[in-house]
Amino acid sequence: MPLGMLGLKVGMTQVYDDKGNLEPVTVLQLGPNPVLLVRTMERDGYHAVQVGFGDKARKRASRAERGHVSADFSSKRKKARQEAGEQLPEKANVEPQKYIREFRLADAATLGVGAVLKAEDVFKDIPNVDVIGTSKGRGYSGVMKRWGFSGLRASHGIKKGSRQHGSTSSLASNRGSGRPKKGLKRAGQHGNARSTARNLKIVRIDAANNVVLVRGAVPGPNGGFIIVRPTNKRD
Amino acid sequence: MKNKLLQAVEDVQLKKAPAFTVGDQVDVHQRILEGEKERVQIFTGVVISMRGEGLREMFTVRRIVQGEGIERTFPVQSPKLAKIEVKRTGAVRRAKLYYLRDRVGKATRLRERKVKPTPTAPGGPSAS
Repeated sequence: MPLGMLGLKVGMTQVYDDKGNLEPVTVLQLGPNPVLLVRTMERDGYHAVQVGFGDKARKRASRAERGHVSADFSSKRKKARQEAGEQLPEKANVEPQKYIREFRLADAATLGVGAVLKAEDVFKDIPNVDVIGTSKGRGYSGVMKRWGFSGLRASHGIKKGSRQHGSTSSLASNRGSGRPKKGLKRAGQHGNARSTARNLKIVRIDAANNVVLVRGAVPGPNGGFIIVRPTNKRD
Repeated sequence: MKNKLLQAVEDVQLKKAPAFTVGDQVDVHQRILEGEKERVQIFTGVVISMRGEGLREMFTVRRIVQGEGIERTFPVQSPKLAKIEVKRTGAVRRAKLYYLRDRVGKATRLRERKVKPTPTAPGGPSAS
């Protein structure tokens, strides 16, 4: 998985393209993302960079979170390691980060700890991206809302079941196991799950505001956390 | 529009605020691309509604063509509109002039808006 970025969904609006047609876009605030850690093949068994997004108040962060990003953070263990002559890991020297994610890389990372990712660099030559977010939670929903079932009839003898799903197949449908097949569409928790909108076109990158516009909708509420990466969809 | 970032995104393409209001009779000059050639088509009528704000503001123009009422909705900020000319102002007391749909002939006329002595920016249709 190539390098991506972390950010927030700001909201949707419309902009005109160069032909004068209106295009529906989602405004994403991406970065700046400091690199907090670099995973290497020798030490970790895979290549990746760990990046953060959003400052967290120091009093809200745990000591572990503060020590992860700060070079001059004192702890007993750090002191002991220093005295034992161990080499301490490099730190990015930023505020504690609200969101921290890793991006797997195919080859060794070219960025070092403390480098800062900017949208205009990461997505410079990339036409399409995937946006990963958490969809809006809809609670425990029936089959009509959750799966788009048609429900039952309003009349002809149906009393209270107009939003029910009807038959859920016979017990023999799963080769005589006595249970219906796994994955049957039923009522249950709808939304509030990880969701990916794939292959969205980048419409504009506003470097001054750390803003990227992508065409179409993106999962989650306005202000929700999102991960953006170059699309993995092949055409 | 409350969010600053959303506003910044729209500001890039935003032209100046519309110089017309509900009740005005306008000429909408629309650029139409026919193959390679571009020509301008004019749609004349009364603005009966405006909705939205910023880059998403739309307005509806109504006119009568051969006894049939025609309404077209345009985005105010569209680059496809060459210009919007105000031919005549109309004194109206409402934001949406949907009642004109039920009227025919002479009843659809609107009184001209009186120009106030102080030249201020054209406000809402409340200037009655």
